[in-house]
Amino acid sequence: MLLPRGLRIGLRVATAVTLGFIYLPIILIVLYSFNASRVASWPITSLTLDWYGRALGNAGVRTALITSIEAAVGATIVSLVLGSLVAFAVQRHAFFGRQTLSFVVVLPLALPGIVTGIALNTALRTVGIDFGLATIVVGHATFCVVVVFNNVVARLRRLAPTAEQASMDLGADTFTTFRRITFPAIRTALLAGGLLAFALSFDEIIVTNFTAGASTQTLPLWIFTNYQRPNNLPLVNVAAVFVLILSIVPVYVASRLTSGTEAARR
Amino acid sequence: MALYRRPTAQLGLLLAAPLGWLAIAYLGSLALFLVTSFWSVDSFSGNVVTTPTLDNYIAIATTEVYRTIAVRTVVMATLVTATCVVVAFPIAFYISRVASPRIRGILVVSILLPLWSGYLVKVYAWRLILSQNGVLNSILGTVGLHGPGYSDIAVWLVESYLWLPYMIIPIVAGLERIPSSLLEASSDLGGRAGLTFRRVVLPLAVPAVVAGSIFTFSLTLGDYITPTLVSNTRFIGNVVYDFVGVAGNQPLAAAYAMVPVTIMLVYLLLARRFGALEAL
Repeated sequence: MLLPRGLRIGLRVATAVTLGFIYLPIILIVLYSFNASRVASWPITSLTLDWYGRALGNAGVRTALITSIEAAVGATIVSLVLGSLVAFAVQRHAFFGRQTLSFVVVLPLALPGIVTGIALNTALRTVGIDFGLATIVVGHATFCVVVVFNNVVARLRRLAPTAEQASMDLGADTFTTFRRITFPAIRTALLAGGLLAFALSFDEIIVTNFTAGASTQTLPLWIFTNYQRPNNLPLVNVAAVFVLILSIVPVYVASRLTSGTEAARR
Repeated sequence: MALYRRPTAQLGLLLAAPLGWLAIAYLGSLALFLVTSFWSVDSFSGNVVTTPTLDNYIAIATTEVYRTIAVRTVVMATLVTATCVVVAFPIAFYISRVASPRIRGILVVSILLPLWSGYLVKVYAWRLILSQNGVLNSILGTVGLHGPGYSDIAVWLVESYLWLPYMIIPIVAGLERIPSSLLEASSDLGGRAGLTFRRVVLPLAVPAVVAGSIFTFSLTLGDYITPTLVSNTRFIGNVVYDFVGVAGNQPLAAAYAMVPVTIMLVYLLLARRFGALEAL
């Protein structure tokens, strides 16, 4: 599109400034994790790798890290199964309530997280289920299903049903067709959806806070209970970098897999 | 059995597990949560009394502090949403209509990465930036200024920061969909860039902006982490969180959480009118 030169330059500057605004705090937290000082003052005077060793040696951080990974893997598996089932139903069938179903699947993202959190908390207490890893997985899966659903639906929409029909015309049954035609076509969408679900789960705190109970801690929860303790500040910085890496890398890989805007949108 | 000849059976198999999950884990919880808001807590034993009562809602409607906090939260969500729209438009316009396809791809990914990851980490980073001896005060101090510290302004800044990518992405998608011919027609008819923007681009971008605002608004309404880390002010989320945790009063928490739920449901219905749900 033809724009006046000044405007073009202005837009470029605005874009650079906005990107800087988005990334500077993230870069800063990485810098602070190498800060030799125990206090987070600025400027940073000397750097060290010590806190990484101490963080990994800290039982609280290690346990929380493992719990976070377990929870994220659990939530990813549940949402892969449920999300793709709903995607197939919505995309391949016309049925009463289809619109409503699509809406309900997206609802956990549109409603404030605290609502999902407190609703699950109330339900678990009322039914009498103990809080722990399993309830964290349930909480995370409620909003991770959407991500897988969106990715698979987007892929199925572009996949013409004629390929599947041809397969069946040639004598393959439903399951062979799925294994040989449908699955290979949606494989990267599933992988991308799964990675995004993992990332979403790994850094979640709003819902987790309501479904974890007193004795189980994910890494974000560990940060949340320790950020005010001056002694633990350097460890919190390192834990924050762990969370950052384990949520940004999967998202990056997912975005490469789907290359572009299509699938990574919520 | 030829499953493809029995679409109903196939559909049943596909839907059984997810519907069961959604109905029990999610909708069931939401329904119970709605019901709970009509329960009460015995002030002596601390046990939940399941006799239906409107007391929670009456308490919320008649207690001034709850009303003030609700209004404050809605004002904050509105300000954050407006800020995100203003900040998102230039970069979204650049990404969708100016940048080359290769740069566009890189930029979209660089907006998506922070959208998906590190929510708590980003709030925590801002806590360090805004602290007394933090980066902001250190930089502003050289010209004799002082940052907002931990305050309402800090909450506004951090929430706008957090949810900005949620506004950029829908606007990029919305602007991409505007046919170039419309913009060319406008300039052929003598419309300068500014006029074309106001009269052609902006109206066509409305559904995308509304779609983005669903996220910025909803996420701000329910956020209790940001106010906790960068201010001493309480918002709806903080009160609900304290009702559940400190006070152990689930029913009152549920009733108060109905405020953001109601607002969001009305918002979603209005958004559908604007065609914004398709733009999500």
